[in-house]
This record gives sequence, structure tokens and C-alpha cells, in this order.
Amino acid sequence: MEEILIEVKGLKKGYKKRKTKEWVQAVDGVEFTVKRGEILGLLGPNGAGKTTTIKMICGLIVPDEGEVVINGITMQKNRLKGLEHISAVLEGNRNLYWRLTARENLEYFAGNRGKSRKEKMGEIEELLKEFKLKQKENELVSNLSRGMQQKLALAVALLADSDVILLDEPTLGLDIETGYEVRQLLKKISEAGKTIIISTHDMPVVQDLCERTVIINNGKVIADEKVEELMNLFETSAYVLTLGNELTEQQQKELDAKFPMNELLDGTKLTITLEQDNDIYDLMDLLKKENTIIEKIDRTTINFEEVFMNLIQEEKSHAIHSIN
Amino acid sequence: MPFIQLIKANTRMEFIEMKRYLPNTLSMIGTIYIIFLGMLLGINIIGDPAQAEANIQHVIVNYIFWYLTLVTLTNIGFTITMEATRGTLEQLYMSPLGMWKILLSRLIGYIALHGVIVVGLLYLSMATANQWLYLKPDLTLTILLITLVGIVGVGFMIAGASVIFKQIQAFMQILQFILAALAFVPLSVAPFLILAPFVKGVDMIRHVMIQGYSWTDFTAMDYTALIVNSVVYLFIGIFFYLKCEKIAMSKGLLGNY
Repeated sequence: MEEILIEVKGLKKGYKKRKTKEWVQAVDGVEFTVKRGEILGLLGPNGAGKTTTIKMICGLIVPDEGEVVINGITMQKNRLKGLEHISAVLEGNRNLYWRLTARENLEYFAGNRGKSRKEKMGEIEELLKEFKLKQKENELVSNLSRGMQQKLALAVALLADSDVILLDEPTLGLDIETGYEVRQLLKKISEAGKTIIISTHDMPVVQDLCERTVIINNGKVIADEKVEELMNLFETSAYVLTLGNELTEQQQKELDAKFPMNELLDGTKLTITLEQDNDIYDLMDLLKKENTIIEKIDRTTINFEEVFMNLIQEEKSHAIHSIN
Repeated sequence: MPFIQLIKANTRMEFIEMKRYLPNTLSMIGTIYIIFLGMLLGINIIGDPAQAEANIQHVIVNYIFWYLTLVTLTNIGFTITMEATRGTLEQLYMSPLGMWKILLSRLIGYIALHGVIVVGLLYLSMATANQWLYLKPDLTLTILLITLVGIVGVGFMIAGASVIFKQIQAFMQILQFILAALAFVPLSVAPFLILAPFVKGVDMIRHVMIQGYSWTDFTAMDYTALIVNSVVYLFIGIFFYLKCEKIAMSKGLLGNY
């Protein structure tokens, strides 16, 4: 049986907005587990509660309710002991000292975990080489490119020798090439047996790296599935219909009301995700009513970005239905 | 030992920063040197010649105390504000050794470096002016170090306020005057000030430097009052800081600036 390393149990956190004094429930009963060696993607739109959840896992924010257990240690009871098992890159390149060199940053953060420079010398050398930072080791961080800074922040987190690495938006603001390079590094890290939680908006990162994903919206977990399963789920319920003629205004209205996850391209190419298998018959009825010709029906090939958008939209439409 | 490594890393960090901000460091060294020299030479000219020597001793002791107290007190709070601005504060909070130990080791490094600079400059200015104070380094340094322990405690209280409010510069400005008053008022004038931080220490050093007191001239009560005052302030300071840290974590204020 695979060992569960992290247990997030019923986390709740609310804030009062400073200006309006309005109460915001940022995280509302989030729970999930992470197995040792797993890479978990934590996804959600802006303001969904991802960063608050990550910070509660690190013990930087105390939850109103619930707890986080890492390797059997409850963070809310014994935070410092728990921190021996976690390292994090929370604000990317801002986590570094810009007036120190790349090497000085690595040495300083190692010292901050109680390790001597001598003890970590070999590891620092290895990391500088592996992260292609050796040439720039004596360069001030302020003079490094954003990609290099991001890689250095990752190297600092790795130097902690922790079981778990938490990454908040590790590819944010990187160009395609560096983003790819960081993804490859993350892959290598995971192959070394580290457990990683990545909070990101970058869907290729999730599709490429994560085995499982937890999607949070409005502070609640709306999906906790293996990435592959989510993709299959949506692939089988997503269709592309090529129509012989354009939809009438009335048809379009009915379509939006019944199937909110639809997209009409050039007036005749309808991409639609159905919630249930039987919905296909309702769709046919709707098209038949105005004698719309269906030239072709295809199953779509879906990417993870579309899966994510579908889930979020589905959640929104459920919320609208429940209000109505 | 992890704490020793922590002190080493943070002292090295302070030293590197002093080197990186060299113009700032040089201007600080120049300013302190001029102030010491000004005190050693100026009071001779301005004051009553009969009391010149006592006056110089008095002013220099008070100045050094005021300076070291100020840097010790403000350093921890300033570190928190600075780290929050840079974005590194939360990263420091991820250390399993605890943030208060990081702050303490940063301060130890800072005081060690500044202490060496101030003492060096004092000797340099004494040599320049050819006026020598009764320093008695063994006794003076012991009293100074014990006194600084209490000041560190007060520094932690200020740091606690910084963790929550981040911006406490206005309070720091007022604090400078309070500190100056405490450093310059003799204990004989206001005996109740023995309860305040560092006043007993300043008073004892004043006795060493002005009246030539030695180890045996102080009573056991003097040493007890000095140690108890420092230890109590240190514990209260750290306790207060940890409470503030808890509040900041409950309200999610650590990353805010």
C-alpha cells in the first residue's frame, strides 16, 4: 500500500475584508491526501483559495478549522517539527536575496536550516551544475534572468532535503523555453522521489507533470481525480458537431440554457460538453426542431485546459441553477 | 550544532551586506569616528576645563550605549519590515529552527560586527586625540553584553509589533528620544528606572569609566539586578514576539506588506 504523506483535513479559513468589512470564506472545508512520491496539481481560478491552502499546509496561516498532518506530524500542533519535512517556493524569484550571489543564496538558506556550508558544499556544487547555474554562481541575483532566478529558487527549496516541496506558480512569467526547462527539472525532482504540490495556472505543467489534481473553486474542492481520468471523463462527453446551417436565435438561447458548456465557431462548428450520456438526445431534439442539418459528429480531443474550464463552468452553472 | 550554523550564516550575511552597501558602511564608520573625535576634543574646548575629563567619559559612555541600544532595539523590527518588503519573510518562516532564532542570530551577527567597528573606532579616535578613557574591557564588556541581552528582549517586543503592523517607523522615531533620555539620566536621580531596560547597565558602566570602579566595587545586589533585569526582559520579549507571530499567522498577515 502506498504511504500517505500529507493529509489535509477539513481546512477552513475566513477573512474580513479590510475596506468593506465583508466576511470572505477563502477556504471552506478543503480536504485531500497526497501519497509519498506523488505530484499533485492544485488548481483553481484566481481567488479560489489555492494560495491560502498552500500557506496553511506550510503552517504560515493558521486555519480556523481543520488540520494538516505531514508524515504523522500535525502542523497546527508542532509546526517546527513539521517544517523539517517541507520546503517551498512561495513567491518565485522574490524568495531570494537579490543583493547576494546565486551561491551565497544557496549557502545562506542552507545555514538557515542549521546546515554548515562545508556539509552542503558538494550538494550546492551539484545543484549549480544540474540547474545550469554554475557559470553564474558569483553573479548577483538581481543580474540573473527571471528564468535563472526561478531555477535558483527551486534549487534553494531542494537544498532543504525535505520530503515535500510546495510550489506556488513555479512557471509564472517565464518564457516558453525556460518554462519547459523548469518543467523538465521538476520532472527530475519528482523522479528522485520527492512529493510535490504545485499550485498553478499553467495547464501544460499539470498535464505534463501531475498524476493527480485537486481543483478548488470558491474555497471548495470541486474535483480530486487523476489527471488521466479527468481527461477521459471529459473526452467521452465532449463532441464537435459540424452543422449544415446556422442555428436560429431561439435555438442558441435554448442551447445556452441547457448546455452552458458550448462554443459555436463560424456559426456552424459546435463544440459541446454533455453532463450525462442521455443529454445527446436532448441536443438532437433541439437541433431537429428547426431542421438543423448535422453533417458530422466527432468526439473531441481535449486538453487539460479545457477540462479545467469545463469543471469551473459546470460549477458556475450548478451555482446559478441552485440560486434559480 | 544547528543554532551555531544559524549564527554563522546570518553573521556572514550581515558582513556580505555591509560589503555590498560599501558607501553606506563607510559613511557610517566616518560618522562614528567624527562623533568620537568631536567628543574627545570638543568637550575640552567647550566645557569647564576642571571637569573636562569626567564630562568626556560621561558623554562617550552615554553615546556608545545609546548607539548600541538603538541598533539592537531597532534591528529585529527593521529586519522584519525589510524582509517583508523583499518578499523573503515567509521563506524565513519556513525554517524548522523557528523565526525568532533566525532573528536572534541575525542580531548577534549585526551586534558583533557593529561592536567591533565601534570599539575599534573608539580606540582609533582615542589614539588620534591622545586622550585615553578608563575602559577596563573585561568588566565593561561583560556589563555591556549582559545589558544588551535585556535590550534584545525589548527588540523582540518591537519585532512582534512589526510582524503585525509592518510599518512602525513613526514609533521608532519617538523611541530614539525615549532611549536617549534613559541613557542620559543617572540612576541616582531616578532610582525607579532600575526596572527599565538597560538603565542599570549604563549606570554601572558609568561608574567603571568615570569613577574607576572594578569588579569588587560593585555589590552582589548590583550584579543580580543587572542579570535579572536582562533575563526578564529577554523572556518577556520573546514571549510577546511569539504571541504576535501567532496572531499574524491566524490573521494571515505574514506575507502582507
